[in-house]
Amino acid sequence: MIPSELRSGAGYWIASLRAMLRFDYGRMRAWAAMLVLIQTMMGAGMALLYGFFYPHITPFRALYITTGAPTLALIPLGFVMLPGSVGQQKIEGTFDYIWALPAPRSAQATSTFLLYALLALPGTVLALLVAAWRYGVHLSPSPLLLPAVLLCALMAIAVGYGMALAISDPLVTNLVTNALMFVVLLFSPIVYPPSQLPGWLFAIHRVLPFYNMAVAIRAGLTAGVETQVMTSFLVLAAWTVAGCSVIAWIVTRRR
Amino acid sequence: MTTIAPPINVRRGAARWWRDYISMLRWHLASLRMWFVTLTVVQVLTGAGFVLGISLFFKHIPVRAALFASTGVPVLNLLMVGLILGPQLVADQKANGSQEYLRTIPVGRLATAGAWYTVCLAGGVPAMVVSLLVAWLRYDIPLHVSVMIVPAIALTTFTGAMFGYALAHAIVNPMATRLITQLLVFVIFGFAPILFPIAQMPRWLGTLNWWFPFRHMAVVIRAALTSGPNSAVLAAYGVLGAWSVLCAALAGRALGRRA
Repeated sequence: MIPSELRSGAGYWIASLRAMLRFDYGRMRAWAAMLVLIQTMMGAGMALLYGFFYPHITPFRALYITTGAPTLALIPLGFVMLPGSVGQQKIEGTFDYIWALPAPRSAQATSTFLLYALLALPGTVLALLVAAWRYGVHLSPSPLLLPAVLLCALMAIAVGYGMALAISDPLVTNLVTNALMFVVLLFSPIVYPPSQLPGWLFAIHRVLPFYNMAVAIRAGLTAGVETQVMTSFLVLAAWTVAGCSVIAWIVTRRR
Repeated sequence: MTTIAPPINVRRGAARWWRDYISMLRWHLASLRMWFVTLTVVQVLTGAGFVLGISLFFKHIPVRAALFASTGVPVLNLLMVGLILGPQLVADQKANGSQEYLRTIPVGRLATAGAWYTVCLAGGVPAMVVSLLVAWLRYDIPLHVSVMIVPAIALTTFTGAMFGYALAHAIVNPMATRLITQLLVFVIFGFAPILFPIAQMPRWLGTLNWWFPFRHMAVVIRAALTSGPNSAVLAAYGVLGAWSVLCAALAGRALGRRA
């Protein structure tokens, strides 16, 4: 029977969000451990791996690698795993099924968002701990760390999700995310100072999110290494807003 | 005159094998089509990109680091199709049913595997050449290419392709295949001494790597590209040979298994 009136309002939205969280978690549960494991390995693993490339790890290099580790853990989750999972949903048809559910799409998107944000944290913390232990770096965390990590996680998930929604062909998404990872891991000044880049490349990185993530998180972990933190926070906020706008635009439109 | 009766003689022998091989090769290339072009472009870009990108890790890159990275990237180029793309393709084939279809084709295992091996070589060698050329132009490193490059390429690609084949058929779930191949990318990039000297990783990790094929691939390829005696080459060929036989046996079993 068709309900006589349309359900809406804040109460309905929250109930939908709760239902979607249960639905998403139920689907993800089998993979959640694997995802956390992979993300940890990516973050902590990358931190160890960069060290192998250097004949001698000076304290300066160690500091950069250690404070870059949380950034390395956040990027794959938002920019690779989330788009990959959405791509898989599109292939399987689950994506259309979810959109057909009688829950507001904003609640559906929020649910995905929240779950991935939760999933991102353990791997990020562990990456930092492993790196600090491996390189014996002394860190001086400040209260700035919390907003920095939260903003970076939000930004990565918002942009990754927006990208996954905006690109309709899962194969293209796969190609884009892989290319992104390659560029990020090699050509971004996350685990090394930007002074090692050619000027034009650094100019590009000032507006891209990756270098700014590293700056924000490094500023929260050290004292006096990063000076232009405000700019980075602004750039990250702008990317978050852009990502959210794309998500909002796509989930509210009809096909 | 044409007849609709089944052929009286079952064709066999080298001519038959060659015909099967050619048809399978055409099948592979046709099913990859545009992807093969994209793949080649991606391969060339990543190879050249890595060779250039490694210098950003250093203020001034030492010659030794440049040499190791430049002679290690070709190994990654050779492995990319067989080891990384291969299992994902098989997973896709399983999902869309073409795996079942392929099983019904009256083509021998050897021809099937041979055709795929050719595709792996074709997808790897051009990228390898470009990577080396870029490295030579960028770093002016001392390369001395010897004849041993031929068996080194042949064995490295073969082991990679068979490893990938065996892996692809051993794993049932496509999602697991994707995760494991991504893990493999990670391993060959950073946890096997391919792109940097083995002395730069912890000793136990280097020892562990002795039991896996990737370290030895780097040894044979690097030995064929640089001058100077390398005592590890013989052992490396031995271990690689053992791995290739093992993986080929597993892959052969998987290809011949009846559903």
